[in-house]
Amino acid sequence: MTKLLQWLFGVAVVLAVWALVSFDLLDLSLPRPYREAAWPMPLYLLVSLGCYSLATVGYRVATFNDCEEAAKELQEQIKEAREDLRKKGLKM
Amino acid sequence: MATGVDQAVGMSLVVFSLLLFTYYSVWVIILPFVESNHVLHKYFLPREYSVILPGIAAVILLLCIGAFTAVIMWKNRKPKKVD
Repeated sequence: MTKLLQWLFGVAVVLAVWALVSFDLLDLSLPRPYREAAWPMPLYLLVSLGCYSLATVGYRVATFNDCEEAAKELQEQIKEAREDLRKKGLKM
Repeated sequence: MATGVDQAVGMSLVVFSLLLFTYYSVWVIILPFVESNHVLHKYFLPREYSVILPGIAAVILLLCIGAFTAVIMWKNRKPKKVD
């Protein structure tokens, strides 16, 4: 069985359980608050995935490092390259 | 560490997403178990909106992505050369 089929099978099982609980397909008569909390579950998981992604992006933006020495080294190398090309006749 | 505006924007994104997650979690999971004359219900919209509002947000997001793509493709169109 390929990975895709395994994932689809897992998703189908989860969806089946959700449908059974939300729409009461087996007439199990679960208490009302549980059914009310269960039926927006797919949307809730999507919203929490979105929140997690947003928080991860925000955190990594806030903790991104500046590299001072690498920036200076790069400027030095740009100067050297410019000098070198000027000596070889390239007009800037 | 990133400085100045970067840190402010990043931290505000984190705080906003934490607030949104907490509010939505209470709205969807905790409120059904709270009895209907508790004062907590006053701070939350009726439950239908907990499905409608993310739906509207998703539609707006898709519209923005589509509009952005359309603008970029419009700017990059090149007339075909005639030989």
